[in-house]
Amino acid sequence: MIKLYDYVLSVNCYKQRLMMSILDVPYESVPVDFFPGWEHKGAEFRKINPLGHIPVIDDDGYILWDAHAILVYLASRYDPSGRWYPAGDPELLGETASWMLFAEGTTNTASAARLCVNLDYDFDLEACQAGAHRLFRVLDEHLWFHERRGLDWVCSGDHPTIADIALFPDVILSEEGGISRMDYPALRRWTDRVRRIDGFEVMPGIFPASPG
Amino acid sequence: MTADPFTMWHPVASEHDVPYRHVHHAQLLGLELAVWRADDDFVNVWENRCLHRGVRLSIGSNDGTELRCQYHGWRYANRSAGCTYIPAHPADAPARTICNRTFPSVERYGLVWSGEEPVGDPPTIDALEAGAPFGLRNLPVNASVELTVRHLEAHRFSPNGQLDEEPEMSVDRVEDYSVALTARAGGSQSTAVFFVQPVDSARCMVRGVLSETPPAGEQLAVWRHHATGLNQLRVAIEAEAASQPAPEPMVPVLQQVPVHLAEIPDAPSGRQAALRVLVHRKWETADGVAAFELAPLEGVLPTFQPGAHIDVHLPNGLVRQYSITNGPGETSYYRLGVKLEPESTGGSSCLHETVREGDVLAISEPRNNFPLRRDSNRTILLAGGIGITPLLAMAQSLDRMRLGFELHCFAQSAEHIAFADVVEGLGPSVVRHLGLSPSETVSEIQRLVAGYENYSNLYVCGPGPMLEAVRREAAAAGWPDEAVHFEYFKNTTEIDDSSTFEVALARSALTVTVPPGATILEVLREHGVAMPSSCEQGACGTCVATVLDGEPHHQDVYLNDSEHRAGDRIMTCVSRSVSDRLVLDL
Repeated sequence: MIKLYDYVLSVNCYKQRLMMSILDVPYESVPVDFFPGWEHKGAEFRKINPLGHIPVIDDDGYILWDAHAILVYLASRYDPSGRWYPAGDPELLGETASWMLFAEGTTNTASAARLCVNLDYDFDLEACQAGAHRLFRVLDEHLWFHERRGLDWVCSGDHPTIADIALFPDVILSEEGGISRMDYPALRRWTDRVRRIDGFEVMPGIFPASPG
Repeated sequence: MTADPFTMWHPVASEHDVPYRHVHHAQLLGLELAVWRADDDFVNVWENRCLHRGVRLSIGSNDGTELRCQYHGWRYANRSAGCTYIPAHPADAPARTICNRTFPSVERYGLVWSGEEPVGDPPTIDALEAGAPFGLRNLPVNASVELTVRHLEAHRFSPNGQLDEEPEMSVDRVEDYSVALTARAGGSQSTAVFFVQPVDSARCMVRGVLSETPPAGEQLAVWRHHATGLNQLRVAIEAEAASQPAPEPMVPVLQQVPVHLAEIPDAPSGRQAALRVLVHRKWETADGVAAFELAPLEGVLPTFQPGAHIDVHLPNGLVRQYSITNGPGETSYYRLGVKLEPESTGGSSCLHETVREGDVLAISEPRNNFPLRRDSNRTILLAGGIGITPLLAMAQSLDRMRLGFELHCFAQSAEHIAFADVVEGLGPSVVRHLGLSPSETVSEIQRLVAGYENYSNLYVCGPGPMLEAVRREAAAAGWPDEAVHFEYFKNTTEIDDSSTFEVALARSALTVTVPPGATILEVLREHGVAMPSSCEQGACGTCVATVLDGEPHHQDVYLNDSEHRAGDRIMTCVSRSVSDRLVLDL
């Protein structure tokens, strides 16, 4: 069974739990004392990931770190339909890669702001918040135009991709970092759609959506 | 700025912001709003704050009929915003006064208009009346309305069909919160009205509407053209705003706890008919059963919960109680079912024969003495004949909340089941028991109540003999009294009013004597003690009083056997005293 080195309040770990829940992949969560113990920065944990961060998965001896890389692996290995990671469709795959990189941006702004507020990280909070607003404006407009074309997801296929999973936690928890989503109504509607995906799972701070 | 913005209509959402089952997060003049469309297309505009702990309702969930707060699950009804259920108090009916602050809403030009205290109607724009208005993408701007309007006056765009051409612009109209522009090029012209929603002192939302809808194949290009142009405009507006000192944010006036909630209210005395309603529709819903839809003459009907009833004051002077059969969120009318009783003493026959569509009736506000718990593992609803009416409201609520239930309809035949279409819509949760003899009914009840398990609840409404059978068989099968909830149509007990006793009112410091032939309720009223009542025959539970001392002589059918034995509550309309003196908490 997959082992997930996990912390319940981490958005990047939640991305993996969400993906495995949707793909119905059984896994074992190995709790890491991320806060306040900083266990992931300790010598023992660095034997698993020398970079000293989580999540890390151990799939029967195959070790992989970096949240968005793990999503690529999970979807490629455990989604027989090939739709979560659309490797067979060059255009859709390109879009997926592009929005995964965009999600690095939301993680480094919106989710970083959340770490400042919740866990006293020493980042420039105002810069994180302003950066998140810049990205959310772009994403909201993108999703608004997708809605006009009858498209529900971040990429232009008719099925969600790992890009939706990579972005969703950064967006839905943004208010914990003091980033209101009031100005991004299309982004708010997309969070409803993600929360209605079969197999959707919550984490603290995330609530299920009403039935559609 | 000339006009008072608080008395004006402003857009707070666009049509595409309020799809079904979504809650839009808006702000107007510093005040946050939760805006949501119910399945009946009513758009609710509420202050964005749960009355309980102040959590934003915009993170709540819209199930099409009610908005549920994410924090503790309080549910609020479509239209009235009244609270219908509090999960922490599953056995109680929330007070009708628990009601969110609502604002008016009107849909016009693809926008939802609202305001704090708007006067008159939303603005009428000639350019948008003529054609088919076409909504553009909204543009949130971090700048004041004044600055944004000033920039919009100089805004440029190309007309539909000529998007690549350099336009000739004319300013049609500039007002405090809107700018109308017309673009001409290559023989085409387009008019756009940009409404500016005042979000806060330094934030606004530009909602553009074109007077003409372009052909389907060109719409995306038109949207893109305007989005690109408005994005550029925003860069300029925000650059200028950033160079100026930021104004202080607006301080919204939040709803205060209303006086009627902060003070102990005067208890209403007697049977109140606070509402006037129009018989909007009357039809035969089953053999011998007339259905009525009662609509408000103005405004919104008070919130009801499943199990609630109203008093109907009939033209012939009689007062009768009828259950509200509506599902959750069906708040534009009260729907009743009235069976014509062969031995009618004037109630059901009056409704069947005299009352017609278009008549105005006086009714009480809804009262819920038959509340529905939503924390059961198993809920069994047993309906005998017209007794289906309160259970139908319950079944629809449980169905909407995706809580399992069984609705057993006992009736002479399928033609005798009232609101058969609604019953049908409840699908496989409904079991029909048709044409059973009294003894067959009892065996069926025995079968249905067999095997009590914890966290089960049984609700029954129907004729007296059926209720007696259910209560008896449920008790025999191990159901505790508190899990068996019943509502009688009427009290068939022969009332013994021959005793004489004293009633002492502990809080009022008043002692009165109840003589033979008079009820406690009557004597209290004679002495000026305000008491609410409804059926006045010991069936509905409205005139309940708490007993502090003395032994009541119960003659009602509202309380169950354990409650009778406990002796701490009394129905003042029929019950009396075994002891010489009864002390009530009044």
